[in-house]
Amino acid sequence: MRHAAESGDEFCPFQGPRTFHLVFSPQGADCNVKTPGSPKSALDVGKIPQESPFLPAQADAGLAEDISCDNHTGFLSPSLEDCPLDEDEDAFQGLGEEDEEIDQFNDDTFGSGAVDDDWQEAHERLAELEEKLPVAVNEHTGNGERDEMDLLGDHEENLAERLSKMVIENELEDPAIMRAVQTRPVLQPQPGSLNSSIWDGSEVLRRIRGPLLAQEMPTVSVLEYALPQRPPQGPEDDRDLSERALPRRSTSPIIGSPPVRAVPIGTPPKQMAVPSFNQQILCPKPVHVRPPMPPRYPAPYGERMSPNQICSVPNSSLLGHPFPPSVPPVLSPLQRAQLLGGAQLQPGRMSPSQFARVPGFVGSPLAAMNPKLLQGRVGQMLPPAPGFRAFFSAPPSATPPPQQHPPGPGPHLQNLRSQAPMFRPDTTHLHPQHRRLLHQRQQQNRNQHRNLNGAGDRGSHRSSHQDHLRKDPYANLMLQREKDWVSKIQMMQLQSTDPYLDDFYYQNYFEKLEKLSAAEEMQGDGPKKERTKLITPQVAKLEHAYKPVQFEGSLGKLTVSSVNNPRKMIDAVVTSRSEDDETKEKQVRDKRRKTLVIIEKTYSLLLDVEDYERRYLLSLEEERPALMDERKHKICSMYDNLRGKLPGQERPSDDHFVQIMCIRKGKRMVARILPFLSTEQAADILMTTARNLPFLIKKDAQDEVTHHVGYLSFGSL
Amino acid sequence: MNYMPGTASLIEDIDKKHLVLLRDGRTLIGFLRSIDQFANLVLHQTVERIHVGKKYGDIPRGIFVVRGENVVLLGEIDLEKENDTPLQQVSIEEILEEQRVEQQTKLEAEKLKVQALKDRGLSIPRADTLDEY
Repeated sequence: MRHAAESGDEFCPFQGPRTFHLVFSPQGADCNVKTPGSPKSALDVGKIPQESPFLPAQADAGLAEDISCDNHTGFLSPSLEDCPLDEDEDAFQGLGEEDEEIDQFNDDTFGSGAVDDDWQEAHERLAELEEKLPVAVNEHTGNGERDEMDLLGDHEENLAERLSKMVIENELEDPAIMRAVQTRPVLQPQPGSLNSSIWDGSEVLRRIRGPLLAQEMPTVSVLEYALPQRPPQGPEDDRDLSERALPRRSTSPIIGSPPVRAVPIGTPPKQMAVPSFNQQILCPKPVHVRPPMPPRYPAPYGERMSPNQICSVPNSSLLGHPFPPSVPPVLSPLQRAQLLGGAQLQPGRMSPSQFARVPGFVGSPLAAMNPKLLQGRVGQMLPPAPGFRAFFSAPPSATPPPQQHPPGPGPHLQNLRSQAPMFRPDTTHLHPQHRRLLHQRQQQNRNQHRNLNGAGDRGSHRSSHQDHLRKDPYANLMLQREKDWVSKIQMMQLQSTDPYLDDFYYQNYFEKLEKLSAAEEMQGDGPKKERTKLITPQVAKLEHAYKPVQFEGSLGKLTVSSVNNPRKMIDAVVTSRSEDDETKEKQVRDKRRKTLVIIEKTYSLLLDVEDYERRYLLSLEEERPALMDERKHKICSMYDNLRGKLPGQERPSDDHFVQIMCIRKGKRMVARILPFLSTEQAADILMTTARNLPFLIKKDAQDEVTHHVGYLSFGSL
Repeated sequence: MNYMPGTASLIEDIDKKHLVLLRDGRTLIGFLRSIDQFANLVLHQTVERIHVGKKYGDIPRGIFVVRGENVVLLGEIDLEKENDTPLQQVSIEEILEEQRVEQQTKLEAEKLKVQALKDRGLSIPRADTLDEY
């Protein structure tokens, strides 16, 4: 497939004297459309009815060598003009006698087979056509059939419509690709005639990139993309000029899958989008609460606590509130009512991640998550209060939590990757918690600016900073809303479907910190140290199975690789060797490898088992027994793995276990497993260790881990 | 006002004087006026500072727009302590001359090294060719 590789690189819209090729390839994603507006494309006009755009080979071959484009005018160099076809014909025919193969090509290019390519004529034809365009547009809209000579008549919108008709499956799931079809391109009014605009590469380029992003349009004529299109769009003239001025970008997502915008994502918002706080509470975007969101109801600390009390509890580490402690969170009466209602309904307990999941402002004002509340209480599932219906677009029935991953939830990526239906987070909208933060910040800023003059109680650093800002005439070039916009993007990146999966270490670290500080607080009476935690909210999952788009009348499917649907690059096949003459060393090596594999598998089980506690807190009542069973089962398998797989009635050989204990990771793992085992199982492990102690100690000289096992085991017994 | 605890965010650094180190080794000092999500920076009243030994020289550059991927690190400059350095400021010409001399000596040393290695049959690939990957 010939590419613009000939001209040196893939994509060079603005560079100097180069040959511009307009290339279509079936694998649309691999080579974006190149720049338009070359004299060649003008020439192609004549050829289209005869040749398919996929076989530009011959014509291109001849011309590519001869043409050198002057970038400014784009006109062909005089060389071609000076050598009329006749001369070439003669010359080549001379050569042709020697090699007939070449002759065929030459003939087609320069000889009888060639079409008379006078670019100037074609150019004039185009100019005429362009003048007819306004009429042509009206005539040709709605044409089912593509008239390939109708170069300028087609709207890009029209094109997009037709494209979408051609597409068989309308589930344009992969936002990285499919949005291109649905974009309404922002078209600029064409100022001048064909001349000026045809060579204005950037102009036309913009239009091309959109719909061609990753799609193939086999029946579309080449020239439509070469030439700019006249948009007789009245309503669009009313649009904000600055919107039009922005170049169209490819609509690949920056994070997740942002929605398609008329204004590219690179622009900060034009206006202040400030819904009032209350408004926002009442009608949050329902996107966040799609099923299967759990209608989990957050219930704080028991009915006794009044909203005021709740509010005044210092901010917990969970929240990452930007508020300084002196500013109590302000609640509207509505919020208080809801809080109270929530408090009364359910004396259950909440876990931090439940908080995170409920798209409630309720989470945030309810500050400190007292860890003792977490222990021991069995919460009940209740449907949410009526006041909360605003939040849930789904009927408030007990639906399973979004965390029901398919089997093997633990913090292991491999499980997630291997599933066929992919779950990706819905990152198109900002989580309400984050949005709230933003708005709070905005309000804070406004208050700050108002109070600036009377800032008596600000720290010295602050005031010096403010002074500095006041004296700096260039300060605040970046508007507050622009800053918010950037931090909004950053916040969106923090959203994930399962923070415990994506951000395991941070979450665990903070839990430990919380427990520590809670423990300290129990002992002393000092004020609890505030820890601001980064909010990593949990967001609903979107089920998403990528199906590549099919076009009518085409054979085969596109495989387009994108961010959300990565292509498998390496076809790795696992082959198991079976060699007849295995040496002793090989056997030993294999045995060690097998032991390593067993350790890894057991480790996975261990991590799962350790995770069950957290899952308990988040699961529904009915599922708890199932979870318990799973957990027991896993513990048994771990034990089996440790002791050797094929137990007869006894476990005759300690060998398996000893092998595991020879490896450092195995030792550590055994130490971690011991607390989960039943007494007899633990005793058994200990006996085995004791039996082989001399050997293990010798082996342990470097590792120094065996004593950990010892401590742990004696401790647990 | 802590925008996002535990993250690196440039929002609080806006309108403050910063020292930015770029991947090509340049040091820029300027007021950070604007950022975006890729950490592209707009620096105002920028000065490129060249350090050679204990001396440095400033070249005023005006407004810089730096693409985010080229930034190695950046840090805020404390305006009060800014002039508290043991370094000596010299004129631009002098510092450029010093820089040239320094680079020359480096090149020569490098050449000798490469030659010595070649004599022993070894070759070390140049770091700049590995830069991208």
